[in-house]
Amino acid sequence: CHTSGMLTPNGKEYAQKIPREELTHLILKLLQAWKEPLSHFNQHIEHHQELPDDSLSKAKQISNMVHELKTGVEKVTEKARFSINSLNGMASSEAAGLSISNEANMMSDSDFIHCFRRDSNKVQSYLKILKCRIMPENSC
Amino acid sequence: MKQKLRSSVQIILLFALTAVDLTGQSYPGKPKIIRCRSLEKETFSCWWKPGSDGGLPTNYTLFYSKDSEEKIYECPDYGMSGPNSCYFDKNHTNPWTTYNITVMATNEIGSNSSDPQYVDVTSIVQPDAPVNLSVETKTSASTMYLWAKWSPPPLADVTSNSHVYHYELRLKPEEKEEWEETVSVGVQTQYKVNRLQAGVKYVVQVRCMLDIGEWSEWSSERHIHIPNGESPPEKPTIIKCRSPEKETFTCWWKPGSDRGHPTNYTLLYSKEGEERVYECPDYKTAGPNSCYFNKKHTSFWTIYNITVKATNEIGSNVSDPLYVDVTYIVQTDPPINVTLELKKTVNRKPYLVLTWSPPPLADVRSGWLTLDYELRLKPEEAEEWETIFVGQQTHYKMFSLNPGKKYIVQIHCKPDHHGSWSEWSLEKYIQIPTDFRIKDMVVWIIVGVLSSLICLVMSWTMVLKGYRMIAFILPPVPGPKIKGIDTHLLETGKSEELLSALGCHGFPPTSDCEELLIEYLEVEDSEDQQLMPSHDNGHPSKNAKMIAKETDSDSGRGSCDSPSLLSEKCRESRAILSTLRTQDIRDVQENNGGRHWETQCIASEQKILLFNNESTKSSTWPAAQLPDNQPPMFAYHSTVDAHKITLCTINVNIAPVLAEKEEKHQPQYPITETVHDNMEKQREMENLYSKTDQTTVQVTQNRPNDKSPFLMPKLMDYVEVHKVRQDKEPAVLLKQKENSGKTEKYTVPGTSKEYTKVSTIVDHNILVLMPDSRIQHISVSQEPAMEMSQNLQQGQAEKNMSYCLTVPSECKRETSASEYMDPSSFIPAFK
Repeated sequence: CHTSGMLTPNGKEYAQKIPREELTHLILKLLQAWKEPLSHFNQHIEHHQELPDDSLSKAKQISNMVHELKTGVEKVTEKARFSINSLNGMASSEAAGLSISNEANMMSDSDFIHCFRRDSNKVQSYLKILKCRIMPENSC
Repeated sequence: MKQKLRSSVQIILLFALTAVDLTGQSYPGKPKIIRCRSLEKETFSCWWKPGSDGGLPTNYTLFYSKDSEEKIYECPDYGMSGPNSCYFDKNHTNPWTTYNITVMATNEIGSNSSDPQYVDVTSIVQPDAPVNLSVETKTSASTMYLWAKWSPPPLADVTSNSHVYHYELRLKPEEKEEWEETVSVGVQTQYKVNRLQAGVKYVVQVRCMLDIGEWSEWSSERHIHIPNGESPPEKPTIIKCRSPEKETFTCWWKPGSDRGHPTNYTLLYSKEGEERVYECPDYKTAGPNSCYFNKKHTSFWTIYNITVKATNEIGSNVSDPLYVDVTYIVQTDPPINVTLELKKTVNRKPYLVLTWSPPPLADVRSGWLTLDYELRLKPEEAEEWETIFVGQQTHYKMFSLNPGKKYIVQIHCKPDHHGSWSEWSLEKYIQIPTDFRIKDMVVWIIVGVLSSLICLVMSWTMVLKGYRMIAFILPPVPGPKIKGIDTHLLETGKSEELLSALGCHGFPPTSDCEELLIEYLEVEDSEDQQLMPSHDNGHPSKNAKMIAKETDSDSGRGSCDSPSLLSEKCRESRAILSTLRTQDIRDVQENNGGRHWETQCIASEQKILLFNNESTKSSTWPAAQLPDNQPPMFAYHSTVDAHKITLCTINVNIAPVLAEKEEKHQPQYPITETVHDNMEKQREMENLYSKTDQTTVQVTQNRPNDKSPFLMPKLMDYVEVHKVRQDKEPAVLLKQKENSGKTEKYTVPGTSKEYTKVSTIVDHNILVLMPDSRIQHISVSQEPAMEMSQNLQQGQAEKNMSYCLTVPSECKRETSASEYMDPSSFIPAFK
């Protein structure tokens, strides 16, 4: 996966240890890394005639969701007033993300999907941990 | 000479032959060539079989010739191939020629030669079997195989190594009949056999062949035993890997057969992107055939490549690899602390509240693991579960449960998005209470009781008064009914009832009956105010007294004043009669007559002239006689007290009965004799008027002579009104009547105005006279009111008039025969 190079906590303890800002930053980085490959993928599979229409619409839906998620996390970041450092980190990650995503275009479809599944699971887990750290009262 | 020689030779030969025969010796038998064989195409040998030797030592010689040549050669070598054989070496063997071979057997006597045999060398080539066959088992690459080795057949000439043999191998398990495998080996002198069964003894053979000719014989067998268990273990398989809380995980495998040897299992894994292979850190924690990866060794979002290796003494075996990412293999324990609670809503309906906790190991609090829950429940006896997805909450309310049933509840959970459902939690039972409200039950009980009561009442009324109900619903058609008469009573014929009916009811008679004239009164002078018994039988003074007591004024009341009254009286008389009757039977013999009458009649307060029971024989009572079947039309010549009239009526009714009953007997108490003395009457009348309250009127009845006492035609008598006194005591003076016989004087009323019937007496002063009417006539002609008014005397006349006006009509009507019942008609009943 093109995002394998990113250092992400591999377990619960690690994820709980790192500070919230860093975690948020990581999430954003991940989401950013997938933005481009997803759109590329959508373009790619549109030409695939054998795929059912459900899959095509689902893929579009997913890329939209990722975009919205990223926007949402950014808002949360702003509201939580995380340090400026993270924002800087964002800028650099943008660049990194672009280079990575070029790699992603080379992947096969199955690998692409596999990687995406994993990364989305990562993002989900990190967000849940973040949620329970920021607002512990809601079903945590 | 030659001839002689020849013959001598023949003779000698014959002698020889015979000599042989005689002595058992002869020339040898014919030998036979068995076979000729070439081992390698360069030499060959022939063998023969000798015939009989003739008893003498025989010498064998082999001659051959080549092709069609004449030259005969003798065998070059006799001993090489054994006895009776000939060996042709290389020099004497030419593969392209055909040999003609014969064998001759010679002995002292003679010789014999075999049949010639044509031998082509190329066709008789057959090598010997290979030699030095050796077989052994070897293992390579964890498999057992058989290795066979042999040597080509040996040759006499060692130098000729250029022979190329083709070999063939065959093997079979020792027990079997047929050869399992026959392998064409080629030119090599060794061979490897795979696919052997362990623990089986095999038999191996080889044979060879040159390029031409035949196969050699099979070599001698070689036996080989394939060792049992001498093999590496079977390949194990990995069953599954699971993480109970997304922090550690465990893998389980299933071992193959270990082939009888202790086998060791090792789990090896490598991570994605790394080359290094690790071994399982913990074999024990999770049990046998498992590997437990603790937190340190668990990485998420990386794929593990896991294999299991089985090793034993002989070899090892490795399972297929399993690729695992821990995030996707999470399966937790079931939820715990499942509690069921019954609560009641506002409407007192029960609902179920379920609560549970996540499994203890799952870290839901930090958000690392999020669980979805699902519960299922069913009534205890039902077959299928109802499954409800709950989501991430740990409580649930269930409303639609059947009261009175026992439910089983189970819950399980799954991490959201990835993972498997856990096992179901332990079964929890809950009993829903029956919705039993006391209020409802009471209402139902009351309803039930009331309805049953109503049913009972209904059925009871139906049973008892069904007829009446039916009559109410379907009223019966009324039949004709005569007023005042109870047909049943008459039909039953009970004298008592009849008499009671006659005697008691309506006594005293009602007022409107007073004005009706019913009968004729014969007034007798009775100053002593006593009834004078007329018959001889001594009337006990009691009677008189009784009578005196009872009678205060007009005693001789006409009994037929009002029909209704009469009817009543008739009823009463009936009753009396009935009573009389019943008692009469007894009394007749005793001549006790008049007991009964008084029973009812005494009850009358009007001083009914009655007879006490003591008067056995005679008692007179004023009785108005009623003509049989005749309307009670009697002329009242005297004032009759209204009260007494009834008496008379009764008495009249009674009298005939009595009279009838005592027909046999002399009428012992006949009705007081009629005093036909006008004077007496007059006097009586006067007396009557003078003593209004004390006059007694004796109504007498002429006793007829005939047996039907009821025919009293003579009753009617008319008194002429002499004058009317209108002074202080208005009175009517009646003329004297002629002392006429009774029967004769049937003056038809109406002929003279002067004779009128007295209808009734009103207020003791007023004589209400009836309009003319015939005695025997049933119908009464209606007189104009005028006539009536003429006869009225008093100031109250008018009133009376009116009264009388009305009444007579009634009277008339009522005196019609149809309404009036003649007691005589009852007589037959009483008979």
